[in-house]
Amino acid sequence: MNWKRIITWCVLGTVLVAFVSSCAKSPKYKGKIGVTCMDLTNPFFKLIANVMQEEAAKHGYEIVALSGELDPAKQNNQISDFVAQGYDAIFLNPVDSRAAGEGVKKAHEAGIPVFTYDVQVTDEEAKDMIVSHIGSDNYQGGLLAGESMMKVTGDQGRIAIITYPEVTSCILRINGFKDYLKKHNSKLVIVTELSGKGNRSDGYAVATDILTAHPDIVGIFAINDPSGLGAYSAVLKAGKTGQITIVAFDASPAGKQAVFERKLYDSPQQFPRKMARGTVEAFIKYLNGEDVPKKNFIPCAHYYYEDSVDDESRVTEQW
Amino acid sequence: MTRKLLSDYGMLFVLLLLCVLFSVLTLKEQTPEGSTAAARLVEQIDKEFKKSDIILTVGAVNKDSALLAEKLGEELEKKGFGNTKVVIGVPRDLRLKLDDISKKGDRLAAIVTSGDVTKWGVIEQIPEKYPELSGCKMLAPKSYIWPDFLKRSNLLAIVDRIVVIALIAIGMTMVIITAGIDLSVGSLIALSAVIGTLLMKKMGGLHAPGWVVLVGFLAGILSCGLVGALGGLVVARFKVAPFITTLGIMMMARGLAFMITGGFSIYQVPKALPWLGQGYSLGIPNTVVLLVVLYVLAHIFMAHTRMGRYIYAVGGNEEAARLSGVPVKFVIVFVYIISSLAAGLGGCIQASQLNTGTPNIGMMYELYVIAAVVVGGTSLSGGSGRILGTLIGAFIISVIQNGMNLLGIESYTQQVVLGAVILGAVLLDKARSSGGLIAFLQKKMNF
Repeated sequence: MNWKRIITWCVLGTVLVAFVSSCAKSPKYKGKIGVTCMDLTNPFFKLIANVMQEEAAKHGYEIVALSGELDPAKQNNQISDFVAQGYDAIFLNPVDSRAAGEGVKKAHEAGIPVFTYDVQVTDEEAKDMIVSHIGSDNYQGGLLAGESMMKVTGDQGRIAIITYPEVTSCILRINGFKDYLKKHNSKLVIVTELSGKGNRSDGYAVATDILTAHPDIVGIFAINDPSGLGAYSAVLKAGKTGQITIVAFDASPAGKQAVFERKLYDSPQQFPRKMARGTVEAFIKYLNGEDVPKKNFIPCAHYYYEDSVDDESRVTEQW
Repeated sequence: MTRKLLSDYGMLFVLLLLCVLFSVLTLKEQTPEGSTAAARLVEQIDKEFKKSDIILTVGAVNKDSALLAEKLGEELEKKGFGNTKVVIGVPRDLRLKLDDISKKGDRLAAIVTSGDVTKWGVIEQIPEKYPELSGCKMLAPKSYIWPDFLKRSNLLAIVDRIVVIALIAIGMTMVIITAGIDLSVGSLIALSAVIGTLLMKKMGGLHAPGWVVLVGFLAGILSCGLVGALGGLVVARFKVAPFITTLGIMMMARGLAFMITGGFSIYQVPKALPWLGQGYSLGIPNTVVLLVVLYVLAHIFMAHTRMGRYIYAVGGNEEAARLSGVPVKFVIVFVYIISSLAAGLGGCIQASQLNTGTPNIGMMYELYVIAAVVVGGTSLSGGSGRILGTLIGAFIISVIQNGMNLLGIESYTQQVVLGAVILGAVLLDKARSSGGLIAFLQKKMNF
């Protein structure tokens, strides 16, 4: 019967610790905000969650950040838990623009305001329930990438695209890229369009295969930095760094460094800090009864070698 | 009797322990709702204020405070407080009302609110922004302490999140009792959801009648059953290890789901789709009804039918089972079909809960399902295990996930804790069956 006693003590100990820690909150404490994003192992989303935490703390709110782990069902469960706990708001970065609608409806029914960031909810009913959305203008970023690609290749030759069609924001980047080429009657020929699943190893694998099938390409557009850097490794291995220019997306810390080392030509920049601050701001405005803009798009900006030379954020490995 | 229950379902105590733990940890001030709270406030107002005073009752839209505000408004009106105003909405609505009052130059006597409304910035800023209104009193009902964990809505959320895994675990328990394993269930969730919703889309989409949903579900479930039959045949006839067979099916099914949809979600679905996963029958969620019915049926099947006993016999000793006339191959094919059908049904529920068919749902679910089965006391080496134990195992996993979310534990930490608890629960179960933790440790570590 001894082990029962051990368990009892363990439980009592946990309870005690939890009580002490819950009593030690700052005096201005007002409530909790639930954050659920696509994937917290992605530094982009981790940074946003951290900045939100800092910003919300200034107003007396605590952030609970969870990872949807790329599973729409899991994310909806997390929203249900936020609702059950009666949080003051939910900041949502949907794994799936459609499926997240069911979670949004639940939150709305319970009177909890939902703010989306980075990715929009597209469910017909649920999209009107969102208080406010803030995100990068991914389509405009795609236009920038197209502009860079035309400039660097002298609008001549065959190019390849490394996509990630599971994610809406990546589709928008591709659309912007293609539209720019079309609008400017580009002579560039897109020979293939394959998924690099947004990460370095798959980007490497798919770029290797692209180089095997199309050894004569002059440029690659990758929808984010990890897949762009994967593609660079493949180009390097094939000994074609002089022949092929890579344009990526995001200007993540790794991407900025790569631009500085001239591995990437351009990486249209997103502004995750602005996104995080904007979301918290919208919530505070909402509480104060002010008018909150329904949608807020932050334009992307080119990030060239010239931008990277004196860029402090590159040296300190920040977004 | 109790001893038998203890030895059969020792995990039940782990589950209860977790429930008690999370109940204690999520104790929180709750705002009262309903008529008693309103009546008390009305009494207070009646004593303190004149009938001609302007009284504002405020409630947040869709929250308990909205009901309270409405009720208060009615009651005060009846008592003769002719200048009662009710605001139900978001902070912006309250601001507009306050603007209105201060523009007219009226004097506000009291604001009656509850719960979250008190946290609105508008209320805090009254002294700065509306100095002329600063004399007004703030009234709120007395709060009480109750754990978030034990709220009705939360208990339903626990069932909701586990229903898919728990249903699939029925089939997985049977497969594991035959000493097999089925890794394909997670992908089959996606395949079934995608086939089902695609058919619904083709048969009329948004405006399709209810029976189309049924057809879609049946198509999804049956195609999974077909896949399961093929897998079972490969395992039984060609003696390919179940791990490898189902690993192959897992990849193929996931790929097919993506191929069918081109990677996008299918959302042009009939209005009746959410009924299964989100609807209610006689006040009980359909998912709960389904869970109870299927578990009772499965329990009876495994414990009291010949086929059920055959499944145990095959897992205990395949050769002995064959020699005593058990149709071993048939039994094996049968359990894989059941497992796949269950996964297909799980996919339908998931599609219904999400109101979409998405090819990336059910990732990693096979591992959660296996964890639920093993935590529930079924041996991976086959021959023993109980259906109801699996249900308890599934609930343990669900309660841990829900409890950690309620406590606001970070995602990274959650994974570590969940893994540790699964391991701990199984160790505890082993210890119980060898007569106590100390005896178990002494025996295993040669103290």
